[in-house]
Amino acid sequence: MASIRKSGGDNLLVRYIILVSWTLVCVVPILWFLTIGFRPRTEIIVPEPIYWPTWSLDAWRLLVSDWPIALYLRNSVVAVAGSVVIDLVLAIPAAFALARYEFKGREDIGFYILSTRMMAPAIVAVPIFFLFRNIGLLDSVWALMLIYAAINLSLVTWIIRSYMLDIPKELEDAARTDGAGDLTILWEIMIPACLPGIITAAVIAAIFAINEFLFTLLIASTSKAYTMSVALANFTGGSDGVIYNAIALVSFIAFAPILILVILIQKHLSRGLTMGAVKG
Amino acid sequence: MASILLKNVVKSFGSFVGVQDMNLDVVDEEFLVLLGPSGCGKTTTMRMIAGLEHPTEGEIRIGGALMNDIDARDRDVAMVFQGYALYPNMSIYENIRFPLRMRQVPKAKHDDLIRRAAEMVELGPFLDRKPGALSGGQRQRAALARAIVRQPQVFLMDEPLSNLDAKLRASMRVQIKHMQRELKVTTVYVTHDQIEAMTLADRIVIMNKGVIQQIGTPDDIYSNPANTFVAGFIGSPPMNLIAGTAQNGTFSAAGVKVPCPASLSGNITLGIRPEDCQVGGDNLQGQVYGVEPTGDITYLTVRTANKNIEIKAGREFRAPIDSAIAVGFDTTRLYFFGEDGNRVGVK
Ligand SMILES: Nc1ncnc2c1ncn2[C@@H]1O[C@H](COP(=O)(O)OP(=O)(O)OP(=O)(O)O)[C@@H](O)[C@H]1O
Ligand SMILES: [Mg+2]
Repeated sequence: MASIRKSGGDNLLVRYIILVSWTLVCVVPILWFLTIGFRPRTEIIVPEPIYWPTWSLDAWRLLVSDWPIALYLRNSVVAVAGSVVIDLVLAIPAAFALARYEFKGREDIGFYILSTRMMAPAIVAVPIFFLFRNIGLLDSVWALMLIYAAINLSLVTWIIRSYMLDIPKELEDAARTDGAGDLTILWEIMIPACLPGIITAAVIAAIFAINEFLFTLLIASTSKAYTMSVALANFTGGSDGVIYNAIALVSFIAFAPILILVILIQKHLSRGLTMGAVKG
Repeated sequence: MASILLKNVVKSFGSFVGVQDMNLDVVDEEFLVLLGPSGCGKTTTMRMIAGLEHPTEGEIRIGGALMNDIDARDRDVAMVFQGYALYPNMSIYENIRFPLRMRQVPKAKHDDLIRRAAEMVELGPFLDRKPGALSGGQRQRAALARAIVRQPQVFLMDEPLSNLDAKLRASMRVQIKHMQRELKVTTVYVTHDQIEAMTLADRIVIMNKGVIQQIGTPDDIYSNPANTFVAGFIGSPPMNLIAGTAQNGTFSAAGVKVPCPASLSGNITLGIRPEDCQVGGDNLQGQVYGVEPTGDITYLTVRTANKNIEIKAGREFRAPIDSAIAVGFDTTRLYFFGEDGNRVGVK
């Protein structure tokens, strides 16, 4: 018995070692990455790694002087936030209908919506390019907003729908007998009840949108519509060679808002991700 | 406020028939109780009256008006749901207020009405809490308060007291009945609990497997059960049912012999209530199977060749297990049922 209890103590220690190691595995690259952004360029491309950085704001100066980072950041934020808003406005009623109304072909429509997600994006790249050229929306943040919204709409609808399926039907029945109509039920009962799911869906959509590259490259031809993800690519080539410290800094700037967002809503998100996963 | 009429109502779920050819006429201001075992279609019947479920066939009328195509929100019924169905994101106060807002009750009246409803179910101190922070019984009372906060045409209550402790249940029972008399709102009430059914109902509807077995006043149901199902369902313990044969004015089964109407013959089931049996007599011979004193009466179980018989004996009665015992029946209170289970031989 004693040995079992002792091994229980060992287990705790082992558990902590595993957790701490895992945390380091997750966090160290991010911190390392961040230090790269604040090193002089000469310190990065060396045969032996230099662990303790010489702090330098070279990359930052380069960004601010040569590069309209504020514009790119603004483009990213506008396009991503706008797309998420569009997604929610369209997906919430769609999810409600798919989760609650009985109508012919409901399952088919549900599957069709999800299946748009399975297609390789490159297949539609060319048609989309011509489509946006014809309506005169090339090289515009609004076009990006629409594209991001379109890319994520199916996923957002699906996640919210799976949440709504989990809300007991009696709740809606009660609201109906109390005299509520469909819109009131959606607005006052369903949306508050599946708020965690809506938040989860919004964060996932935002992450996908901020990382989107292919369509952004296609649509944005000048810095007028460049987002962080595409602008980043500018540093990888050119006569100056690959400017790693600036890349690191830009990446971090692009990544920071999502990180902050995720930390703020962590409680909802973890529950949301598992629930969504189970219901699929 | 309104009568309720169900005419030849059928509800099927695919090939399964939940409610079969139901005819029910709930009189204005009546308190009607639906009673029956789990899964017999009580909730389904309620949901059809509320408009949450469409009958597969038949007509539903409230106050004479055909309701089949009227949406639930326009039927002006208030329902207490079996699963409470409280809105999780709203406080109890807002939950109770919801129907008032939806029915455009003037804002100035809300607070008064809400507090009165909450008072009635003894929920006053919990109005600011969210449903998640209440116990099961408190949630149930909140659901009840939400239904009684306004004065609808019809109350539908699906086991509204099932989760309360005995004391609270008894006091809520009286309050519900009082309130219903005061508001004069036609009420359909579902319960598993016979005492609740007996004490609350103007009339009781006994259902089994989606079919109405009997409709009658509590006295009627108790004293004149229409068939073996009702006889074996009502009363605690329920009526003893003994299968045997009738011939020449005598009913006999293993260890049992009683007079019966001369018109009866063939396979007959005898029914006798536990309180209409007494120790000593010549109607039944058996062995003592169990003796359960409860204070005011003693429950005695007697074993005969093929059946155990329940008897309410005097409070002092004691007997050793397996001792032989003779039982007498009050022969003016015998019930006979034919092979189809329906009552026969009624004078
Ligand atoms: N949506 C549905 N689909 C299929 N079958 C259903 C549905 N709703 C109810 N049923 C079936 O209909 C029958 C009656 O159900 P109902 O809920 O009315 O029973 P009940 O009398 O209220 O039982 P309880 O006392 O357990 O609440 C049950 O056998 C149930 O399984
Ligand atoms: Mg039920």
